[in-house]
Amino acid sequence: MSAVVLDRVTFRYPASATAALVDISLVVNSGEIVALIGATGSGASTLLLVTAGLAPGGGVVGGELTGEVRRDGRAALLLPTPWTQVSGMAFTVWDEVAFGPANLGWPRERISESVDRSLTRVDVVHLRDRDPGTLSGGELQRVILAGVLAMEPAILLLDEPTAELDPAGAALVWRLIRELAQEGMAVVVATSDIDALPESVDRVVWLERGRVRTSGTTRQVLAGEDLWEPDAPGSTSIAGVWRRAGLPGPVPLTVPDLVSRAR
Amino acid sequence: MRGLHPFTLLTVAAALPALAWIGPAPWGGAAALSAAGVLVLSLGGRQSFRVARAAVFTATPLWFFLYLLQGSGGMLATGLRLTTMIAGGVWLVAVLPPPRLIEAMIAREWPVSVAFLLAATLSAIPALRARAGHLVDAQRSRGLRTRGGPLIRLAALRALALPLVLSALHEVDERAMALETRGFDPQVRRTPLAPPPDSLAQRISRWGLVLSCVALLVWRIA
Amino acid sequence: MTPALWIDDVSFAYGDRPALEGVRFELAPGERAALLGHNGAGKSTLLRLVTGLVKPASGTVWVGDWDTRAKSPAELARRVGSLFQHADQQLFARTVRDDVAFGPRVTGVRAGDAAGRVERALAALDLEAVAGQHPYDLPPPLRKLAALAGALALEPALLVLDEPTAGLDRRARRLVTDALSARAEHGVALLVITHDLAFAAETLDRGLVLERGHLVLDAGLASVLVDAPRLGRLGLAPPPLARASTALGLPGLPVRERDVAAALVTRCSA
Repeated sequence: MSAVVLDRVTFRYPASATAALVDISLVVNSGEIVALIGATGSGASTLLLVTAGLAPGGGVVGGELTGEVRRDGRAALLLPTPWTQVSGMAFTVWDEVAFGPANLGWPRERISESVDRSLTRVDVVHLRDRDPGTLSGGELQRVILAGVLAMEPAILLLDEPTAELDPAGAALVWRLIRELAQEGMAVVVATSDIDALPESVDRVVWLERGRVRTSGTTRQVLAGEDLWEPDAPGSTSIAGVWRRAGLPGPVPLTVPDLVSRAR
Repeated sequence: MRGLHPFTLLTVAAALPALAWIGPAPWGGAAALSAAGVLVLSLGGRQSFRVARAAVFTATPLWFFLYLLQGSGGMLATGLRLTTMIAGGVWLVAVLPPPRLIEAMIAREWPVSVAFLLAATLSAIPALRARAGHLVDAQRSRGLRTRGGPLIRLAALRALALPLVLSALHEVDERAMALETRGFDPQVRRTPLAPPPDSLAQRISRWGLVLSCVALLVWRIA
Repeated sequence: MTPALWIDDVSFAYGDRPALEGVRFELAPGERAALLGHNGAGKSTLLRLVTGLVKPASGTVWVGDWDTRAKSPAELARRVGSLFQHADQQLFARTVRDDVAFGPRVTGVRAGDAAGRVERALAALDLEAVAGQHPYDLPPPLRKLAALAGALALEPALLVLDEPTAGLDRRARRLVTDALSARAEHGVALLVITHDLAFAAETLDRGLVLERGHLVLDAGLASVLVDAPRLGRLGLAPPPLARASTALGLPGLPVRERDVAAALVTRCSA
């Protein structure tokens, strides 16, 4: 069942000569995880904003959209910098996570349940009474994620969720994404952490200057030779070293792949 | 004092400078500033000291400029008034955290957009302070001299103020967008999570203060 | 030869909270060290000590033959180029080029000399094409590279960097690796806080591990990167190539792409 459908979407920011997105078509189903990869400025962030319905949108972004965006259920967006997303209106982590649901006008009971569930989910229950301003970047990103999950979205959009996190924090986020997808959430994640993709992501879309350059299963896209062009995002470290060694045949993407090829 | 309803605290903080300006100089200013001083002292201990120090540091350069511009008479009259405003403001920031004010506004069903505008602005302040600290570190490590005579400090100002302002503007933009991602919608009535308790006594006091200011104004004009 | 950096039994505390205790190590010119450890282990504090922003409570921080206690951060900028987190927010000049030129200018480098340093720094990070633009017209990753160019333009004997590759894409990470390696080859010492261990493997060769303010390990980086249990205690994991090396038992356990590739060729043609 498709949760997100983008049909030939073109988007231009206000007062901009070039379009940020050109003729993008994308379908994401419930339970699927799709990664958007591409160099800085390729349009991944814009694509997430458009998918979330924030561009053109509620007064902040503006801009011109042609084509169609259809969502089946609420979409929630997580931005890369946690400290910008802190509401500034919460004394405690609990309040911070409750911020979103409160904005949706839910009754207190429902908010309470949802918040408690999210805190447990993201493993930040031990932080519930802390002041959000005293948390580290990684902890804060998890709290914001809990806040976003507490709004019970059907579609989760994440913009570089691990860029500011240390490896332990990043691993937690990827694991959480996999679990949420198993429960039926549709997930789209823009990321430059290519090494994490084979184990976490079903499909990959490579964006270049606002257009879809390649799209397919993780293996199909990441095995491509063209990912190694100078301005392209590259594939996994293992694929890179295999290529550098000049070895033939299907490219291994992960350490286990490599081990079975090289023995 | 913190248990008082946010609107009460807000009214008091607004009434002080109002009375200072409306009252005859310099006595109005002196009286209002004394009242402000009492409020600051009632914060107790270290916090009183910090608040008083912040107010004094902010006000002192102003007194200096006033002396240059208006001589000692004008300095006293205007200085007392300005200091009252500053003291009232610093006291308010110490005694009323923005989240409580926003909760109060929302519980009273003030327009959500007003509440959010205030929230975004107020929440940016601690972030800006932290950022200013990091910025000073970074620029000093690049070779910027910050200790020394007034000319040196003036030159340093550009390297510090400019990036702060630029990044603050950029940040306001991002924060506004982030608020939208958290479900902010002016059309939807937000559920108040912890509306601050109010009382009849407080309401009467608030209106009383407002009416006193108006009465004083009328009396002075007439 | 005087080391580029000598941390001589340094301790420091924030109020009553100890941040560093009895840390001692030296960095020779051209040495490239990774500073690893949990948040709060003292890494940022060490950087602030080296740049002179804070002075040690006991022990001495020597930058070349300068005791940091006797120097202000502005003076130390002649010998130490630094990049802190959120460096993308420190830019303020009208153009990228002007901003990169700021450091050399205020540290008293002669105009002609400074212009050369600026151009070399811009070239090293492939920023010539955007050098005339306003910094805030650039996306954050490019601003970060511009800030790094500013540190390079000081042409200091020591570079201390805090997470220089956070938020950068593959191309930008490669530029940083190449620029830093080139400087190190010319005798610049590097001290880099990073949890991007793949980048560390390609760029750095020594591992300094801080745990709760103590220096618990000072060893070749390659040996640290294959030590999964130790890295695990720091909340880190061996990068993919190090894991591959271990899994395949490659001779010498190489961690750098060039070396792993060579070992693979040997293995697969055997």
